[in-house]
Amino acid sequence: MLSPDSARRAEAAGYTNVKVFHEGIPAWKKAGGLVVSEPESLKELIEKDISHVLVDLRPAKEASEGHIQGAFSTPADSLAAAKERFPADKSAPIILYEEGVNDEAFRTVRGWGYKDTTALNGGVASWKKIGGTLIKGELPSTIVYVWKPRPGEVLIEDFKNYVEKKDPGVLILDVRDKDEAMNGMLPGAVNIPTSEIQDRAKELPKDKLIITHCVTGVRAESAYEDLKELGFTNIKFLNAVIQIDKDGKYEITKK
Amino acid sequence: MRQQKITSLSAFLLAAVMLIASAGQAVAAKPTVGGTCKQCHQPQANVVRGTLVGISNQFKTIQVAVGSLVWVVKFGDDLAVTGAERLEAIPKDKEIGVSFKGDEKNPYAVSVSVKPPAKIPPEKLARVEDVRKLVAMGPEKGNFVLVDSRPRPRYLEGHIPFAVSLPNDKFDRMKDAVLPKDKGKPVIFYCAGVT
Repeated sequence: MLSPDSARRAEAAGYTNVKVFHEGIPAWKKAGGLVVSEPESLKELIEKDISHVLVDLRPAKEASEGHIQGAFSTPADSLAAAKERFPADKSAPIILYEEGVNDEAFRTVRGWGYKDTTALNGGVASWKKIGGTLIKGELPSTIVYVWKPRPGEVLIEDFKNYVEKKDPGVLILDVRDKDEAMNGMLPGAVNIPTSEIQDRAKELPKDKLIITHCVTGVRAESAYEDLKELGFTNIKFLNAVIQIDKDGKYEITKK
Repeated sequence: MRQQKITSLSAFLLAAVMLIASAGQAVAAKPTVGGTCKQCHQPQANVVRGTLVGISNQFKTIQVAVGSLVWVVKFGDDLAVTGAERLEAIPKDKEIGVSFKGDEKNPYAVSVSVKPPAKIPPEKLARVEDVRKLVAMGPEKGNFVLVDSRPRPRYLEGHIPFAVSLPNDKFDRMKDAVLPKDKGKPVIFYCAGVT
């Protein structure tokens, strides 16, 4: 939990009116609240070829005069009729953009069940501001979405195999906090909480494949990124929900 | 004389064991998470979360209040304690989690963890509705600063409108640049809940 810790530090720094929205982003998303994404993130998705669906909500003519790479054209005024063209996979990350943020379009797409929908914060202007280029030409209107693992993401089946076979060439790194790990860990796993990775990286072997896991994949990915920065090259992370009981029995569900 | 003493002691122990058993039985179908622990914890098999009532070194039991019920969990020398130097150092009424083995009628403690000091009192909690109202007004009219404590890549990927990014691990380094000059201004922190 990051926010209570930040709140405590803010109070220590003299802030007198500090609150914590403890349920955080999952509760916000669940309630259908508007979620905005930043152009830096979109740029990364495009550059690293991470699966996503980018939707240009402007009139088709305007979009063809300059749009972001990989965008599909779905003008906002005909969005409702375009439902069938959206991917079957409701976990697909969908990014909507136009000149600004279109609340209503967000609510429509979010309402169809796409839980990872965001509106590009600041629209086309913010894209240009970070040096993003616009492409001229016709946009496809048929949305194509093929799920690909994120860079470093281990396939759930592979992860299970590593755990079952107790592969000596693999180290399962549990990055949850100690009190979570205390209630059950995967057999053979090592626990180093995310916050301690930087200081304790020297405890980790360089000759093994290291796979990080937490509960939902968020901290596991952050640990993966930390390890990569620290010079580890043979690392992966589990990007899924995993529950482990005290006997080491576990259940993995896709997000 | 000595024989008699042992007999009465074992009778006493038997009574104590029965007491433990009945206490366990009484809570068998009852919640295992009580009070403020509910803010952060879901019920979990073989874990009791509540406040510490007391520890009996004589009977080797830990008593944990979960709501209006008290769990009595036996422990031995193999007990692991995290968040406190030793079991005796945990103050009464402190929120603790006890993971146990055995059935609910006769639980045996495997480990005890003490709630870390980071959690929040109810008056400092903001709910989805509170945040919704503020976001609808915007930061100027609503007079607030909303802070996203997650790592920066998570913020960039998708955040609540008007939120600013201040990753928890960069708090000290970045706080002056991100937090308002006016230290009385309402500041709301959020992250990803359970991760």
